Amino acid sequence: MEVQSNDERSFRLVYEEVFPILMRVVYHVTGNVDLSEEICQEAFIRFFDKQMSFPSLNDAKYWLIRVSKNLAINHVKRRSREMSMVEKLKKAPSPHANTTDGEKVLIEKETRKLVQEAIEELPEKFRMVIVLKEYSDMDYKQIAQVLNISESNVKVRVYRARKMLESILSQE
Amino acid sequence: MCVDDELLSTYLDGELDEPWKTQVSEHLQYCLACRLRLGQLKALHERLQSVALTTEEMAQSKDRVLAFFEETKFPTADQKRSFWRRKIEMKVAPAILTAAAFVIVVIGSFVFFSPNTPQGQEILPGVVAPIDSEHIRQVTDVSKPNLGMFSLEQIIQHLDSLGYSVKIEMKAVTPIE
Repeated sequence: MEVQSNDERSFRLVYEEVFPILMRVVYHVTGNVDLSEEICQEAFIRFFDKQMSFPSLNDAKYWLIRVSKNLAINHVKRRSREMSMVEKLKKAPSPHANTTDGEKVLIEKETRKLVQEAIEELPEKFRMVIVLKEYSDMDYKQIAQVLNISESNVKVRVYRARKMLESILSQE
Repeated sequence: MCVDDELLSTYLDGELDEPWKTQVSEHLQYCLACRLRLGQLKALHERLQSVALTTEEMAQSKDRVLAFFEETKFPTADQKRSFWRRKIEMKVAPAILTAAAFVIVVIGSFVFFSPNTPQGQEILPGVVAPIDSEHIRQVTDVSKPNLGMFSLEQIIQHLDSLGYSVKIEMKAVTPIE
């Protein structure tokens, strides 16, 4: 099915399918829900305004993931230059603020914070591959297409990212 | 010999091709160390999955961004209707002009063709003029004079009376030697 990015019907189809994936991917790169929303909105605005035609929904999805991933990485780079270590420690990555069952929420919050910080510690090329593997429902071949690298490279990076995460999380 | 760690990671993702996939499965059945290692990789995967942003957590963001597009990028039903309304409004102006022209023609016909009737006087008392000999004059009387109406002599005499010296030459006539 061909997708015309500025056609309302096509747009809604793509949005329904791709928005949750984009949000998850961008959230696990930036660690902030509001910022992830802004980045996803920006990616979809570019998608709509460029009036592009894609041969399939998957091609539109790859394009959107590529754009939002670049926006997220650029933002993280900019932020890491600007943000002091104190502010970094203060930030609250969990959006669970209003849920009940305080103790459970607190544990979840802590787990999320630990995992999120571990992901953020990874070098960019490993971070992107593991985030896409774990949060985008894509296989090695699709990840390779999005990142424009070989499939075997994806396989190696996923493994190395896992080793690094194990190492970081075991120190907590 | 135990399975390579990287191979186990690929196996966990379901991305290992045959025949290695079957070989790893068979190996795992009798190798406790590899089963434990696979368990660790699986635990890490589950830990990462447990912190994934849920559908409920992103619901507000999803609605907000879509609302932004509905407000700014998609034409609404109202806007679609207003397009037709605009078309109708555009057609109203010529319709009014046509109606006005029709009214003028009707009134005009009263003025010029039945001015002396009592109805005419009633409808337009201040405008209707009676048709009689005083109001009628021949069109030829008021036609403007032009040079073709006078002879050459009359023109020369007239110019002479005004103090002009007039010299007349005939074109295409050669004087006799």
